[in-house]
Amino acid sequence: MAATRSRSKLVWDIISYIVLIGLAFICIAPIVWTFLTSLKVESDIVTRTMHYIPPSITFENYVKLWNQSSYPTLVINSLIVTSTTVLICLLTGTIAAYAFSRFQFKGRTQLMLGYLVVRMFPAVLMIIPLFIVMRQVGLLDSTFGLAVAYTSFLLPLFVWMLKGFFDAAPKELESAARIDGTTRLGAMFMVVIPIARNGLLATCVFVAIAAWNEYLFALMLTTSTGSRTWPVGLQLMVGEFQLPWGMLAAGGMISILPVIVLFALVQRAMVAGLTAGAVKG
Amino acid sequence: MTGFDRRSVLKMGGGALAASALLPAYAFGQSTAINYWHTFTSQSEFAGLDEVMKLFAAAHPDITVTQENIPNPEFMAKVTAAVVSGSRPDTTMVASERVADLVAMNGLTDLTDRIASWDRRSDFDDARFKSITVDGKVYGVPAFTFVDWMYYRKDWFDEAGLAPPTTFAEFRDAAIKLTDPAKGRFGFGMRAGAGGQAYVINVMEGFGAKLVQDDGTIGLDRDKAIEAVDWWAGLLTRDGAVPPSAPNDGFRQIMEAFQTGQTAMVWHHTGSFQDNAKLLKPGVEFATAVIPAGPVNKISRLGYAYNTVTNPDTIDAGWEWLKFWGEPDAAIAFLEKTGYFPASTAAAKDERISGNPLYKPAADTLGFGIPAPSFPGSAGWAEGVVLPAFQRVLIKEATPEQAVDEMIDGLAQAIG
Amino acid sequence: MISNTGPAYSPRQRSAFDRYNPLRWIGELSETRYWMYLLLLPSALLICAVVIYPTLYGMQMSFHEMRLNRPGLGNGWVGLKHYQRMVSDPIFWVSLRNTAVWVTSAIALEFLVGLIAALALNRNLPGSKVLAVLILLPYFLPNVVAGHMWALMLDPRLGVINDLLVKIGLLQGYKAWFADPTTAMAAAIVVEAWHSFPFFTLLLLAGLKGIPTDVYKAADIDGAGAFAQLRLITLPMLKTIIAAAVILRVIGLVNSPDLLLILTSGGPGRSTQVLSLYAFQTAYKDFNFGYAGALSVVMFVLLMVFAWAYVRLSKVNED
Repeated sequence: MAATRSRSKLVWDIISYIVLIGLAFICIAPIVWTFLTSLKVESDIVTRTMHYIPPSITFENYVKLWNQSSYPTLVINSLIVTSTTVLICLLTGTIAAYAFSRFQFKGRTQLMLGYLVVRMFPAVLMIIPLFIVMRQVGLLDSTFGLAVAYTSFLLPLFVWMLKGFFDAAPKELESAARIDGTTRLGAMFMVVIPIARNGLLATCVFVAIAAWNEYLFALMLTTSTGSRTWPVGLQLMVGEFQLPWGMLAAGGMISILPVIVLFALVQRAMVAGLTAGAVKG
Repeated sequence: MTGFDRRSVLKMGGGALAASALLPAYAFGQSTAINYWHTFTSQSEFAGLDEVMKLFAAAHPDITVTQENIPNPEFMAKVTAAVVSGSRPDTTMVASERVADLVAMNGLTDLTDRIASWDRRSDFDDARFKSITVDGKVYGVPAFTFVDWMYYRKDWFDEAGLAPPTTFAEFRDAAIKLTDPAKGRFGFGMRAGAGGQAYVINVMEGFGAKLVQDDGTIGLDRDKAIEAVDWWAGLLTRDGAVPPSAPNDGFRQIMEAFQTGQTAMVWHHTGSFQDNAKLLKPGVEFATAVIPAGPVNKISRLGYAYNTVTNPDTIDAGWEWLKFWGEPDAAIAFLEKTGYFPASTAAAKDERISGNPLYKPAADTLGFGIPAPSFPGSAGWAEGVVLPAFQRVLIKEATPEQAVDEMIDGLAQAIG
Repeated sequence: MISNTGPAYSPRQRSAFDRYNPLRWIGELSETRYWMYLLLLPSALLICAVVIYPTLYGMQMSFHEMRLNRPGLGNGWVGLKHYQRMVSDPIFWVSLRNTAVWVTSAIALEFLVGLIAALALNRNLPGSKVLAVLILLPYFLPNVVAGHMWALMLDPRLGVINDLLVKIGLLQGYKAWFADPTTAMAAAIVVEAWHSFPFFTLLLLAGLKGIPTDVYKAADIDGAGAFAQLRLITLPMLKTIIAAAVILRVIGLVNSPDLLLILTSGGPGRSTQVLSLYAFQTAYKDFNFGYAGALSVVMFVLLMVFAWAYVRLSKVNED
C-alpha cells in the first residue's frame, strides 16, 4: 500500500513536471520570439526566409523606440495610475470584502450581486458619460482621474476576490480573539487580515495587472503625454503606418521589463506567504 | 433629462477653460498655447511634422503648438468623445472622408471668411477645397494630398513581356499571368482586411455603380455593384491571383507581400513609396503606374488631409498654424521628409516632383483623380457594412448578390 | 460565523488618551450593529459616483435617438425602437452567437489549463517557483502587446508558427489563420487563453494553498484516487474562488473588445464579430449611440442573467 502510494506520487510528480515545463515553454516561447525579433534588422524580419537566430544583432530598434516614445514618462504614468488604483481598492475594498465575508445582514446577497452588476455595464458606453463627469470635476486627462475610473470595474473585482480569500480563512482564530475581548475592528486587522494576507497580496496583484494593462479607458480619458499610459502610448505609435515589427517587438519587450521587476519583488513575498502555511487552518 | 441633450452639454463645456486645462502650462508670458491632433505615426511622418513645427516656432514665437498623435483607428472615437464632452482640441488634422461626420456633429469651425481673405488662397485649386466645404461653408485648409496609384514589379513584368495594365481587363490578365504558385507568386496584393472598403467602393464606381449621383442622391446601382463585387472577389475566388490571406490583409500585409516578392502589383498611395524603395530598387525592381480604369469609369482617389480649427476660442492662434502649412517652405519641408504631395499647386510645381519620372503617374492622377464619396455615415457604412459583406464573398459565405443587398440595406440604415 | 450576538463588549475605565484615540473610537463603533454598513460605505459611495451615473446615462441612451452625425433627427425619446431593430438585425444575432462561442470556449480552455497548472504547481516540486513565474508571465502583458506579438507569430508571410508547422509537416504551406473563418475564431481564442489562463492559475493556486493537507491524508487512507480527490475535495473547497473567477472572467470577455479589435476587427466577414465589438463600432464608427446603448443594455442583461444563474446553480452563497 505504502509502496503503491509512493509510486503513484512519483508518477504524478513526473506528470506535473512535464505539464509545468510544457506550459512554461508555451508561455515563454512567444516572449522569447518577440525578444529575438526585437534584435533583428527589419530586412531580416520582412523576408521570405525565416531566421530563427538573428543573422545580425542590432539594438537600433530600442534606441529608436526610446527616442520616439517618451517611454520613461509613459511608464511613470502607468506606475502612478496602477499604484493609485491599488491604494483606492485597498482602502475601500478590504473592509467591504470583510463585511461581506463575515456578516450576515439584510440585503447582503443583493448588495454583493450589485457590486458585480456595476462591473457588467460595457465600458464602451460608460466612457462618454464618465468623460463628462471627469471633465466637470476637473479629473479629465489626469492620472488620478484615470485611477478613479479604473476603480469602477476593479473595485468590484477586488471585493469579490478578496471575499473568497476571507471566506477561506478559518473563523476559529477570530472567535478566540473575540472571546479574549478584542473588538471587531481589532479582530479584523489583527487576526483576519494577517491570515488572509496572501489572498490580499494576490488580489492586489490582479488589480495592479488589470490597471497596468488597461487600454480602452486610458485611451479615451487621457489626451496628453502627461497622463497617457504605456499601452496607449505604444498603440498610438502603431497606427495605420504601422511601426516596423522590430520596433514593435522592442516596445513589447520594454513593456514587460517594469512588470518583471515588480513581479520579482512581489513573487518572492507571494510565494513565501502562500507556502508559510498560515492559511492552512 | 438635460444631460442627454448634446447641445447643452456642448454649451456647458465649450469654454476655453477645458481646453487650457489640457495643455501643459508654459512659462512664456503672453504666448498662446494650442494643441494639434493628428494621425501621423510613422518615423517619416513625425520627422515631417517636426520640421513644420520648427519652422512655425521660428515664424511665430508667440504661439506654442503641442502635437498629440491619435492613431487612425481610434481617431473618430476620441474626437467624438472630446466634442460630446466639450473638451475638444484646438486644431485637428482631418482626412477628407471624415469631414462630413465631423461637420454634422458640429465638431469643426467655419473658416469661410478667413480663407476668402487669405493671401495664399490663390495657390490652391478650388477643387482642393471641395471635400472640406459643406453647405457653402469652408471648414479647413488642405495640408497635403494622398494620391492613389499602383506599384508593380517592373522586373517581373519585363520578364513576362507585359506592359503595366491600364484597364481592369488588362489588370486581371496580368494578375493571372504573373501568378505562379510554384514560386509563391501572386499577381495582385488585394487589401480586403482593415481599410479594404475603399477599394471595394472604387471598383464599384469603376463598374458604374456610383455611390453619390450627380444630383447628390445616394444609392447603389444593384446590378452594376454585383458585377463589380463579383469581378473583384473573383480575382481571389475564381482566378486565384490574390494571396489567400487577402480577407485579413491590411496596409501592412499588402506592403510586406509586395516587398518580399510575393505579389506583382499593389494599390496604395504615394505615402508608401519610401518604404518600398528601402527594400526594392525603384525604377528597376518596381515602378509606379496610374490605377487601371474600370469598364465604365476611371476611378483613382485623391485624399486630402485638412487642417481644421476645432475649438473656436483659440481660433486666432489656430488659424495662424493652419495657414502656415500652405507656405511653400513648410509644404516642401514636409514633402522631403514624407513623400506626401503638397496640396498647394504652387508648391507641387517644385522640381523635385516634376523632375522625377517615378512621380509622373501621381502627377497625372492629380489631373483626373477625385476624392472618395463622403456623406454623414459613409465612413461607418463603408467599414461596418461594405467591408464585412465583401469579405463574406471572399470566404464564400455569401454570393455577390447577397453582399450587395447587404450593402444596400446598410446604406438605407446609415442615411435613413 | 461571528454574529451580532458575540461576546458582549464591556467598556473599561477610559484614560484621557483613550477618549481621543480614534482607534478606540472606531473600535467601539465596530461593536454597533451598523458596523458592516460603515465598512461598506466608502466603496459603495465610490461605485455610485463612477458607475451608477454613467450606467444610468448609458441606459437612457438606448431609449433615445442619438446619432451624432445626424443632428437633424434630434435626441428624442424613441421607446423600444432600437430593441425592435435588434430583433431583425442579422448582425446582432451573429454577434450574439459568436459571443457565446468566444466566451464559453475561452473560459473552458482557460479554466482547464489554469487548474492543471495550479494543481501541478501546488505539489511544491523543486524548481516550481521558477516555473510559476514563467507560467504567470503572459498575464502581465498588456492586451495590446500580446495582440501584436501573436499577430506577428501567426502572420501568413512572416509568422514563425506557420514556418514551424510546415517544417514538422503539419501544414503544406503557410496558412492565413485570420483570413479563414474556420480558423480565425479558434486562433483568437488560443491567443486569449494564452494571455489569460494565468488568472485562473494564480487564483486557484492561492485557493489550493488554503486547503488543509489533513483532508487529503484522510482521503488517501480511504483509498480515494487522485481524480476522486479532485472531484470530491478540491473542487468543492474551491467553489467560491472558482465562482468569483469564472464570473469575473466572463464579464471581462464579454465586455472587452481589445484583443479582437487588434487581431481581426470582427472579420473575415462577420466570423469573429462579437457584441462588444459591435457596440464599439456602432458607437464610434456609426456614431449611433442610441443603438450602441441598446446593444450594451442587452449585453448587461445577459451578463446579469448569467451571474444570477451561476450563483444560484453553484450554490456559492450557501455555506
